[in-house]
Amino acid sequence: MDNIVIKLENICFSYPGSDPVLEKLDFSLARGNKIGLIGSNGSGKTTLFHIIMGLIKPSEGKIEILGDPAENESDFRKIRHKVGFLFQNSDDQLFCPTVLEDVAFGPLNQGKSNTEAKKIAEDTLEYLGLSGFEDRITYKLSGGEKRLVSLATVLSMNPEVLLLDEPTAGLDDKTKSTLIQILADLSLSCIIISHEFDFLKETTDKSYMLKDRTIFLDDDLHMHQHVHAHLQGTAPHRHT
Amino acid sequence: MIWEKNNKTSVVSEIDPRIKLIIAFLFSIFIAVSKSFPVLIAAFCIGVVLVSITKIALRDIIHSLIPVNLMILFLWIFLPFTFEGQPLFHAGPFTIIKEGVVHSAGMTIKSNAIMLVLITLVGSTSIITLGHALHELGISKKLVHLFFFTIRYINSIHREYLSMVNALKVRGFYPGNNIHTYKTMSYLIGMLLVRSFDKAQRVHSAMLCRGFNGNLYSLKEFSLNRTDVVSFLFMISLLFILGTFEWII
Amino acid sequence: MHISEGILSPALLAGGAVLTICGSAAGLKSIDYDEIPVMGILSAAFFVASLIHLPIGPVSAHLTLNGLIGLILGIRAFPVILVGLTLQVLLFQYGGITTIGINTLNIALPAVLCHYIFKKGASLNTGKIVFNLSVFSCGFFSIFFSAIMVGFSLSLTGRAFLPAAKIAVAAHLPVMFIEGGVTTACVLFLKKVRPELLE
Repeated sequence: MDNIVIKLENICFSYPGSDPVLEKLDFSLARGNKIGLIGSNGSGKTTLFHIIMGLIKPSEGKIEILGDPAENESDFRKIRHKVGFLFQNSDDQLFCPTVLEDVAFGPLNQGKSNTEAKKIAEDTLEYLGLSGFEDRITYKLSGGEKRLVSLATVLSMNPEVLLLDEPTAGLDDKTKSTLIQILADLSLSCIIISHEFDFLKETTDKSYMLKDRTIFLDDDLHMHQHVHAHLQGTAPHRHT
Repeated sequence: MIWEKNNKTSVVSEIDPRIKLIIAFLFSIFIAVSKSFPVLIAAFCIGVVLVSITKIALRDIIHSLIPVNLMILFLWIFLPFTFEGQPLFHAGPFTIIKEGVVHSAGMTIKSNAIMLVLITLVGSTSIITLGHALHELGISKKLVHLFFFTIRYINSIHREYLSMVNALKVRGFYPGNNIHTYKTMSYLIGMLLVRSFDKAQRVHSAMLCRGFNGNLYSLKEFSLNRTDVVSFLFMISLLFILGTFEWII
Repeated sequence: MHISEGILSPALLAGGAVLTICGSAAGLKSIDYDEIPVMGILSAAFFVASLIHLPIGPVSAHLTLNGLIGLILGIRAFPVILVGLTLQVLLFQYGGITTIGINTLNIALPAVLCHYIFKKGASLNTGKIVFNLSVFSCGFFSIFFSAIMVGFSLSLTGRAFLPAAKIAVAAHLPVMFIEGGVTTACVLFLKKVRPELLE
């Protein structure tokens, strides 16, 4: 039982005035597991994350996180110190004027002193290869830098579980591979929403699919072929 | 993009921002209150010296002085005629009054002197440092954080605005004097507010996820060194000398 | 709408600063720490909106939107406008350190006043005509009062300033109609798209 970090039972949710987004959804994440979550636009992936973080309340269902039931705001306040959530848009996540302050914001909320928080923030930045970013102005960072700093703000809280909402959106290949490296080195349980199968293949053990308002394990390997076109395609050639 | 002016490194930019804020504040008030010409001219000269050691580009200085001088120019149209006193000379039906000219001239020197002090301040200190300094000087924490959030999101909202304007342009919209323009721009402003409100909600959620419980923190620490103290004392004594002159004359 | 440095009498500057401090303190008191992010982002949005230039006759003028800010934020408009004007000083050198008090007062006080006068008529359940009229008036009179206050500030500095003050007020007349219209269209848009913002 202790091995299950996130357990959702019979979750139903609908936004006011629209059809249900999630219905009778059951799901559990075991400690140390890294899973990918795929599904079409509007299928409720982000909604599911918001439910886990207690940002929105499901109309029905039970949530258990790190072994404790999560029902009201005060339960979720404790949970948010242990579950890190990386938002889809880094501009939403970084709100402090300088990078150091933003990364230290979480630890300060956890009750650390100014010096401790500063130290943690500096260490986290160093771990992510972002040393020297401390005094940079958050809104002047590039898209890739913003994403990595956002990750730093989450990791500085020393979470046990990570929820990443499309972490690769808008990243170039170089930043993407940095991110893959970082995620591979972390020994946290995590759920990653992504549309990029290659990225998920590198960072997760198995994939789930959100479809028809509920969640399916999607762990069969499917042999398949791609048909593609390019110039001089009729000439004999190799693909690597 | 709405970027602040580039801050060049200079002697002035190294001084503790709290000292700079206090000095700029005291100088501005002093100049606003003083009346005598020699003192105003001296203050203006101090402003010129400050701006030049701050190494701000002349173009930026002139650019910054335009708004203030437009208003002064507007007043120059009226004041030389509307004051009561000694006529200087007649220009057709109008009489130019000496007191009016004197007052306008004083006003012109005064406002430019104050602006030079302000330009020195903002040209040598980043806005965010100024915010931190205001916090250190005891300005309400809520106000300082309101200030920080505003700066933080001005650029991302401005970017959204520009992309909406481009979207209008590619659909053939050009502003003119008509209801269509006003209506379109109103909708654009409305859309900007809605998007910002949604963004605000996402930011707030993101903060909650990091344990936000109503506390906002400022980590910046300032410490005074010798240069700070010396420049503070120097500027204050300068102010005293000017004050004495103002009193004697 | 900004009065520049070095024009007004020291007494007036001091009075303006004191009243702005009081207004902002009252406004800040009604903002929880929890609401600071939302207020800050709305204040950024208003800042950006106030940079938009609209053609008025042969010239173009930027909007002030204090009616809209007042309608949505009430007394909280005071600190929001203070922050906006401070940033205009720091970024563009419109106005300055000594005039920030009086300039904030001239823009924020009408906004807050119009909120209390017209908010009732502009609530979501009033009839269409009353609603539109209230919203228009809110935008119109915010600028009207602001212009009057700017004129007043100038004329209190000296009798010789009176003609200039009158011209300044008169120049704002077309702006009042535009601001009224823009405020109305904008609020109608918000009413349709995001009525929560108007509650």
